[in-house]
Amino acid sequence: MSNDFSQFQEAFFEEAGDHLAIVEEGLLALEQHPDDLDLLNKIFRSAHSIKGTSGMFGFNAVAQFTHKMETLLDLLRNGQKVVTLEIADLLLKSTDCLKTLIDAAKTGSPVDGDTVQRLTVELATASNTKVEASAPPSTPLPLTPNLSRCFHIAWTPPEWLFQRGLDPLQIFKELANLGTLSQVAVDTSKLPELVAMDPEKCYLAWTMKLETVKDRQVVDAVFEFVREDSKLVIEERESLSVKREAPESGRECEAFESGTKTASRETSAVDGAEPKPLGEILVESGIVSRETLDHALAQQKRVGQILIEQHAATPQQVEQALQKQKQQESASQSKKTDTASIRVDTAKIDKLINLVGELVITQSMLSDLGSRFEMSQISVLLERMAQLERNTREIQERVMGIRMLPIGTAFSRFPRLVRDLSAKAGKKIQLVLSGEETELDKTVIESIGDPLIHLVRNSADHGLEPPEERLDNNKPELGTIRLNAFHEGGNICITVEDDGRGLNRDKILAKAVKQGLIAENEKLSDDQIWPLIFKPGFSTAEKVTDVSGRGVGMDVVKRNIEGLGGTVSIKTALGKGTVFTLKLPLTLAIIEGMTVRVGKDTYIVPLLSILESIQPKAEVMKTVIGKGELINVRSTYLPMMRLYDVFCLQPEYTDPTKAILLILETEGERVAVMVDEILGQQQVVIKSMEQNFRKVAGVAGATILGDGTVGFILDVRGLLEMSRQSMLVAA
Amino acid sequence: MAAATLETATKELNQQIGLTTDGSQYLTFQLGEELYGVDILRVQEIKGYTTVTKIPNTPPHIKGVLNLRGTIVPIVELRTKFGMPTIDYTMFTVIVVVVVQDRIMGLVVDSVSDVLNISKKDIQAPPEFGAKVDVSVLTGIGKSGDKLVALLNIDRLLTESEMQEAASVADA
Amino acid sequence: MIKTALIVDDSPTMRQMVAFTLTNAGFNVLEAEDGKDAVTKVAGGPKINIVVTDLNMPKMDGISLIKELRKMAAFKFTPILMLTTESAADKKQAGKDAGATGWIVKPFNPEVMLKIIAKILPA
Repeated sequence: MSNDFSQFQEAFFEEAGDHLAIVEEGLLALEQHPDDLDLLNKIFRSAHSIKGTSGMFGFNAVAQFTHKMETLLDLLRNGQKVVTLEIADLLLKSTDCLKTLIDAAKTGSPVDGDTVQRLTVELATASNTKVEASAPPSTPLPLTPNLSRCFHIAWTPPEWLFQRGLDPLQIFKELANLGTLSQVAVDTSKLPELVAMDPEKCYLAWTMKLETVKDRQVVDAVFEFVREDSKLVIEERESLSVKREAPESGRECEAFESGTKTASRETSAVDGAEPKPLGEILVESGIVSRETLDHALAQQKRVGQILIEQHAATPQQVEQALQKQKQQESASQSKKTDTASIRVDTAKIDKLINLVGELVITQSMLSDLGSRFEMSQISVLLERMAQLERNTREIQERVMGIRMLPIGTAFSRFPRLVRDLSAKAGKKIQLVLSGEETELDKTVIESIGDPLIHLVRNSADHGLEPPEERLDNNKPELGTIRLNAFHEGGNICITVEDDGRGLNRDKILAKAVKQGLIAENEKLSDDQIWPLIFKPGFSTAEKVTDVSGRGVGMDVVKRNIEGLGGTVSIKTALGKGTVFTLKLPLTLAIIEGMTVRVGKDTYIVPLLSILESIQPKAEVMKTVIGKGELINVRSTYLPMMRLYDVFCLQPEYTDPTKAILLILETEGERVAVMVDEILGQQQVVIKSMEQNFRKVAGVAGATILGDGTVGFILDVRGLLEMSRQSMLVAA
Repeated sequence: MAAATLETATKELNQQIGLTTDGSQYLTFQLGEELYGVDILRVQEIKGYTTVTKIPNTPPHIKGVLNLRGTIVPIVELRTKFGMPTIDYTMFTVIVVVVVQDRIMGLVVDSVSDVLNISKKDIQAPPEFGAKVDVSVLTGIGKSGDKLVALLNIDRLLTESEMQEAASVADA
Repeated sequence: MIKTALIVDDSPTMRQMVAFTLTNAGFNVLEAEDGKDAVTKVAGGPKINIVVTDLNMPKMDGISLIKELRKMAAFKFTPILMLTTESAADKKQAGKDAGATGWIVKPFNPEVMLKIIAKILPA
């Protein structure tokens, strides 16, 4: 369907995603409460919405499949069918299938046609309806010779015509647009006495004659909304020598079986916005018959085939070219997608507009003050400046808030996941969600999905014991996994908690030794042991399952979370359970930073990576050939970097005992970085260096400092690598 | 009709003030004794010189970065880039902000002179040798009245290698 | 005279598309996300020349909205179109009984929608 609506596709996919989530969530809840009518209505509305909107974009596969789901849902909500486990399961599977269909519409990704077909049949069987073999073929256009006809119309509208917002004048206007309207006569016989007359009622009836080149359906369509309730007689009288069937005279116009079909047919026949194929025109003007045309079309050959027959190309070459064409098509399709957008509560925008209004007022007050400033007004100035600061800070917060979404969107997929996991692992698991309303940055939400899945899978598979084992240990058979989110300081904490067997210290140690991660006789505290499970290749599962236990996952979890500037910590008690706590910044656009100075330059160090800062004594310093400078911090030697060295700056101090050492940690590695002075702590907005320049080694990004100049944010990981490289060069 | 009259009038006016309509307009600026020009359509704005932040481990002609209304913009010192001696900045020193492909960058120049209209026939190919600067960054030498203007090809000003991260930082 | 259309649909995408179609046709557009929202928004709002409403909506559905609107003096004769995917006749009948002027079947195309509106909206 080619229309102007393609610009709304992005919005549709987003909305469809929401509706899918509602359907899935609803279906899961429905399993617990099969007779919750509100729930059914909600699910139905979402499915209905997907169906209606997808059709607008010509995603017919989506619309047709959703229609099947909707049919079944409608029977359920009307009480004609009862929600059984089988039906819930079928609908869940169908939701998955619908998801792939929508993805296919979005990115051109492949669809498993067999599944679609199978589910379509199952849905239809469950709804006791017949399946059409394929999409019903659209009825061919009626053939319209371009010759004038004459219709005699007698119309008696219902009395309540006006009360439905209908205006007879509009109908006459439209009829007049179709051709020549004449002999219009009004029948006033039903008009009551003035005193008895209700001015809101229609007592009139009309007869008229219409000469038009349009066919009967077009004339019928004019009365589309009143036909059923009116007395309407449309008689066609032959006016010209056209052979036609006997006029269906005196026929009361039939029911509304195809209201818009008529309307859309009308447009395609009348407007002809798109040029018609040659064949169609020839058929319409009566030069060739449809059969002749169809026959000719069937003989038409494709370019490839003609080329092969003329020996201009080999079949293989043509096949290859076709493949290429297909690839390009799908490539250009997938390129289109993926412009990120965000939906914002209008209340948030309204609030923002108010705040900007306040800002404008403050600004005009300030400029007014500035134009006639006297020293005596200094207190007024200070007051206004404070107001400006308040406005700015509030706007900053609100603007950041626009990107904030409740984490519930990331949680919503877990009920389904846990349901499937518990079935697969043969364990009874209940999932408890809390803190869904906790808001955090959209980008962060999108990035934590996979790590959370890994953790939940890990809990279901390794954390929770099989039912027998639980019963043996005097625990309830039903295991619990809790997902919770809450704000803590400038961070968001997400916990994944299970009441399973807890981490086994000895097993982890044995495994770590076997993997060569630690020495056999190494003495480790609990806090040093638990993080071992985040090491690449580590897995304590005795057997590898398809759910988790391949040893990939936990290390990826840690890396992903740290990539977002967050941390993962573990609390566990043997036999009681395990809690994983993810601590993440609220947003990726703003970080909490420590401003430090080297000479005249200011740098920002992400606060999350700072462990401590020290002013070292001379005796803790040590230089090792090939390893550079080391510093002993509580009997651990850490590599030391002089920031002025790495960045070629002019420092104030070259003597570490006068300077400050920041102990930084990234991905488990520690490094001491030497700077002149710590200036303070502040929130900074991260700006891209790559936008206009390029990535700079050791620099994670730039920010704008209080005085309007640019400051760089240190990339701790990058610094570590730089120091390692320079060590290699030195050695 | 009115539009045609207006067009004629504009043409006449342009001729009176020495502008022709068949060439391009160039913003010209001074570097030492020499006059350089950039296509005016590539110029986003001109701003007075303000302190920039030096980027670690970059070549000397990358002066640093500047906060241009919230965007981080790299600043190129054209004198250094062209191997000219640096001079102290004066009140005439300005940054010409230009758009190169999708990026924005600033060029530090001694002073901005004029906007000149140079017709195509008045532009010669850059000399093969003998010029003070690397001729590959020039599109040609333009003549306007008795002035010679070296027209810059700003797309070539920063080479690919300069925009990419130095391969080994340790060498820098 | 610029005409004002009230669009009621719980799907933001659908609302945007209808709004887009009508705005391009020169209408001033007022949007509501369900029947209840619509009833709130029309109170004290501008004069509405035409209403286009979805049927399946949370809080207050389209049929109830049409009934509510027809009770108001300002909407006694206002054309009200229902947007429906229902091909079944019972929804249309229910809509008409409630006082709907006509209907547009989703998926619609913009020309059809404008044509239908032109059909029922006095110039």
